[in-house]
Amino acid sequence: MANVETLTLDCRDKPTRDINNAIRKAADDGVKTVEILNTRARHNIGVGILKPIHLIYRGHVGYYTVGLCDGVTAEIHGSAGWGVGDNLLAGEVVVEGNAATSAGPSIRGGRIVVKGNGGPRCGVYLKSGDLIIGGDAGYMSGFMMQNGRLIICGDAAKGLGDSMYQGQIWLGGKVEEMGSGVAETEPEAGELDAVLEMLDGYKIKPPKAFRKLESDRSLWNFNKNDFAAWKDVL
Amino acid sequence: MSSAFTRPPAYSGVWHPDAIEEIQEKAELGRYQIRGQATKRHDLPSFDDLVFTPAGLSRMPLEGYRERCDTKVVIGEGRVSRPLVLERPIMIAGMSFGALSINAKRALGIAASNCGISTCTGEGGMHPEEREHSDKLVMQYLPSRYGMNPYDLQKADMIEIGAGQGAKPGSGGVLLGLKMSEEVARMRDLPPGVDQRSGCRHPDWMGADDLYMKLEQIREVTNYAVPISIKVGASRIANDVRIACKADVDAIVFDGMEGGTAASPTIQLDHAGIPTIAAIAEAVEALHDMGKQDDIKLIVGGGIKSGADAAKAIALGADVIYLGTAPMIALNCHRPIYLDDYERLGTTPYECQHCHTGLCPVGITTQLPKLMARLDVAEGAERVTNYLNAMTMEIQLFARSCGKNKVADLDPNDMRALTQDVALMTGIPMVGLNGRQPWWTKF
Ligand SMILES: Cc1cc2nc3c(=O)[nH]c(=O)nc-3n(C[C@H](O)[C@H](O)[C@H](O)COP(=O)(O)O)c2cc1C
Ligand code: SF4
Repeated sequence: MANVETLTLDCRDKPTRDINNAIRKAADDGVKTVEILNTRARHNIGVGILKPIHLIYRGHVGYYTVGLCDGVTAEIHGSAGWGVGDNLLAGEVVVEGNAATSAGPSIRGGRIVVKGNGGPRCGVYLKSGDLIIGGDAGYMSGFMMQNGRLIICGDAAKGLGDSMYQGQIWLGGKVEEMGSGVAETEPEAGELDAVLEMLDGYKIKPPKAFRKLESDRSLWNFNKNDFAAWKDVL
Repeated sequence: MSSAFTRPPAYSGVWHPDAIEEIQEKAELGRYQIRGQATKRHDLPSFDDLVFTPAGLSRMPLEGYRERCDTKVVIGEGRVSRPLVLERPIMIAGMSFGALSINAKRALGIAASNCGISTCTGEGGMHPEEREHSDKLVMQYLPSRYGMNPYDLQKADMIEIGAGQGAKPGSGGVLLGLKMSEEVARMRDLPPGVDQRSGCRHPDWMGADDLYMKLEQIREVTNYAVPISIKVGASRIANDVRIACKADVDAIVFDGMEGGTAASPTIQLDHAGIPTIAAIAEAVEALHDMGKQDDIKLIVGGGIKSGADAAKAIALGADVIYLGTAPMIALNCHRPIYLDDYERLGTTPYECQHCHTGLCPVGITTQLPKLMARLDVAEGAERVTNYLNAMTMEIQLFARSCGKNKVADLDPNDMRALTQDVALMTGIPMVGLNGRQPWWTKF
């Protein structure tokens, strides 16, 4: 199948295993792009792909789309179910619609862009890389985040950044209630520009202003004098 | 001079010295107590409450020291392309690099390989040295996803989805700052020196239906090659087993409330979960209810010390025994050496349980190079190998004496209970009743 630029894959009547094997084989054969049709919110389409390839999903996708992948880029022309881009090591996933619970859980690199809203726990355990939410983000977004950047252009629900260890949250809108151990900090030179440039690259309208939030490190080590914070998190 | 009367202790049974000490420690620390190893309770039902009833005239034993007695267990047979073959019905439990020193990991890996059994990464990712030293390595897939990546998943011989452990069911791992060395922190993407409290809930699945999807994802990543188990702490075990069956795992792992730990809140060690022996009874029944007893293996841990405990667990319905603390003890945990260091920790051998501090006097649960050097890998590996060999022989001893040429053929009929509690819990008849009503009820 060498020299084929684009492969079209129709998910209808195909078991998940065959679809993923076809994508893996395409990547092995040097196919540049796989266009995936009739996704019908099916789960686990495009997981465990470890060679560079570009995936175009025509429609909504289910759980764990582009999960446990390395070096894959993807456009999802629809909305995504739970855990889109789960544990991504490198690459890029762009969701044109909304993302359900836990978008980009525990990613260790790469970038996930949700142009619509994100459900609860966006960027939970984020370890590295970027997660961009063009709209609002649900409760406990950035929970126990370890590093990387979580960019929320709209509002955030309760518990934003709760127990985050490191990393940055950029918030455009209001927050219903901040999580424990989070503080607003001054952006360093160039940081905001980098965020705005990134949004521009995806044609996401930036909010009027961004607040930068980081861990205040009060939860790094137990301190009995910080009991008010610890009682919620211990 | 002996006396039939023993004076009760002068202190209060309510305000026992332990209770007083605990309150005063909390008054000092401002937090709950944390300790390593296991519950300190002395009143849990025990495998000692069961005895084997080997062959006599009514059944023939196998020649004790000669006749073949098969110990092999295969997990995922007929279900995945590369099932996990264990030469003995034993696995070394998931214990993280971070909780354990790398020398302890190396020694356990060598010993397990010598015995044809597996070790398990525990939390914190797969250390390359652990992969190198363990012929068969299980990789844990935990809520925290520390060090998680598809390449290591593909290197593993089984994946164990962690959803709890007996020492602290319903809560996540704890690793205090002193053990968060540069290397441990790097593997977990954390800053060195932080007190790590892991999440207990997976970030991207919750109920039974989600679990099925998660399992499919991992099977896709590992190409349906290796078995996948799910581990829980024994508490609501019967329902958990049913859900695991529905998700179609290859094995279910659980440890009872006696289960070991490197660091847990002491109240959870002592007051949460159910004992191993009760959990086996509930789990086996649930597995039979679901009709999955021939497909899904039960891997059971929590306070298993000897071949007697192991054989009894197997006779109750476990397929594989999951050992954490016992191999650590074989590695010299509690050994009365380096006494000054035990004393500096305010403890003694046999009472220690200071694994959470990172100051293990014998180099097992520490990341400090000076202490770690006290664990000689080759010697440790030999001690654990010897211990595992002895345990295997003990298990075979009971199987042969009960007339079984396969350890897996031990069954509840091979035992009797010494106590009513355990008889009630397990359904194993009390001794003296010959499995029926008392003889005089016939007349
Ligand atoms: C030092 C130590 C570290 C442990 N680390 C983990 C872990 O990372 N993940 C996990 O699921 N269980 C962990 N456990 C629990 C064991 O996997 C196992 O369930 C338990 O030790 C079995 O009980 P036993 O110690 O009485 O044999 C740990 C236990 C010990 C003793
Ligand atoms: S000797 Fe080491 S491993 Fe054993 S209980 Fe003490 S600290 Fe833990």
